[in-house]
Amino acid sequence: MGNLFGKKKVSRVTEHDKAVLQVKQQRDKLKQYQIKIEQKLENERLLAKKLLTSGQRERAKLLLKKKRYQENLLEKTDGQLENLEKMIQDLEFAQVEVKVVAGLKIGNEALKSLNEVLNIDEIERIMDETKEGIEKQKEINDLLNGKLTDEDEEDIEKEYNELLKLEEEEISKQLPEVPAIEPELPATDSVEKEKYKEKVNEKPKRIALEAA
Amino acid sequence: MKSEDWPWQHSFPPFFTVQPNLHTRSLQVSAWTSLVLKYHRICSQYVLDIQEAKSTLFTNPSIERTLSEEGINLVMSALVSSKNAEPIDKYRTRFYIYWHTLEEWAAILSSWATDSGHSGSVCTLYELINTPNQEFTGMHQEVLIKVIKVLEARNEAELILMDDNNGVKFF
Repeated sequence: MGNLFGKKKVSRVTEHDKAVLQVKQQRDKLKQYQIKIEQKLENERLLAKKLLTSGQRERAKLLLKKKRYQENLLEKTDGQLENLEKMIQDLEFAQVEVKVVAGLKIGNEALKSLNEVLNIDEIERIMDETKEGIEKQKEINDLLNGKLTDEDEEDIEKEYNELLKLEEEEISKQLPEVPAIEPELPATDSVEKEKYKEKVNEKPKRIALEAA
Repeated sequence: MKSEDWPWQHSFPPFFTVQPNLHTRSLQVSAWTSLVLKYHRICSQYVLDIQEAKSTLFTNPSIERTLSEEGINLVMSALVSSKNAEPIDKYRTRFYIYWHTLEEWAAILSSWATDSGHSGSVCTLYELINTPNQEFTGMHQEVLIKVIKVLEARNEAELILMDDNNGVKFF
C-alpha cells in the first residue's frame, strides 16, 4: 500500500550494468563447474588407485578413460572462461569509451558556444581600438618626457650635492675615534692578568681536596 | 579453535553456571559474548545453531561442563541487544552472528570498494564472497545481502536481485 503513494526509487543501475552482471554471473558458474569437476577428478583418481590395489585392472582403466574425458572438458571450460573474462573487460572498456566521447562532446559544445560569442568583426574592431590607444599613449609619453627632462636634471644635481656633504661629515666623524682606542689597551691587559692570578690560586685548593 | 584461543574462564567450572550475584553475572555474560564472537571470527562462521553449539562452543569436555539453557538464553539476548546476533527463525534456534555489526561490515565493504576501484561498477555476490585476503572473504551470502542493504540505505550501493543474477553496483 505504501508503494502506491510513495515515490519509487529511481534505479541507478543501467541496462549496461545488467549486461555486465549477467556475463560475470556466467563466469562465476563456469568457475564453480570447474571446481566441481576438479573434485570429481580427484575422487576418481583415488578410486582408481583402490581398484588397482584390489586387482581390478580393467575397471581402473575404464575409470581413467572417463577421467581423461573430464579433463578435456575442463580445458574447454578454461577457454570459455577466458572468453568471458575478455568480454567483461571489453564491456567495461566500452563504457569508459562512452564516457570519454560524452566528455569530448560536452567540451566541443562549450567551445562552439564560446566561439560564437567571439565574433571576428568584433575582434578586429577591438584590436583597432587597442592599437589607437597604444599610439596615443606613446605620444603622451614623448611629450611628458621632453618637458620633464630639465627638472629631472636639477633634482639629480641637488641629490648629488647632498650626498657629497654627507660623505664629508662621515669622514670628519671618524677621525676623533682613533685616539680613544689606545687608552683602553692597558686596561684590558690588567684585567687579563688578574684572571690569571685567580687561576693560580685555585690550584692549591684542589690539591688540598685530593689529600682529604 | 586452538587450545590457546580459549579464554581462562573456559577452564573455570563456575563459568558454565549462571551466577546469582548480578555484578558477577554481568561479567560472566560479557565474557561469554566475547567468546562467542571470537569463536565465529576464528572459524569464519556466520550461523550459530544452538543445538549444535551445545556440544561445541558451549561445552568444555575436559572439565565436563556445559552452559545451561538459561545461560545460553542470557548470552544470546545480550548479543542480540548489541546487534552482534540476529535470530534466523521465530523459534530462535539459529542465529546469524555478526562479529562486526552490520554497520561495521558496511564500512569495511565500502572502503574496499573504493580502494580497489570498484566504485561505479557492478560485482556479483559470488565474486565478492570469493575475494581473497579480505576480512569478508567467505562471508555467508545472506549476511552479505544484509550488509549491502545497509549501504543501499546510505546511497552507496544498489542491490541487484534478478532471476538468476545476484549482484551489487557500488557508487
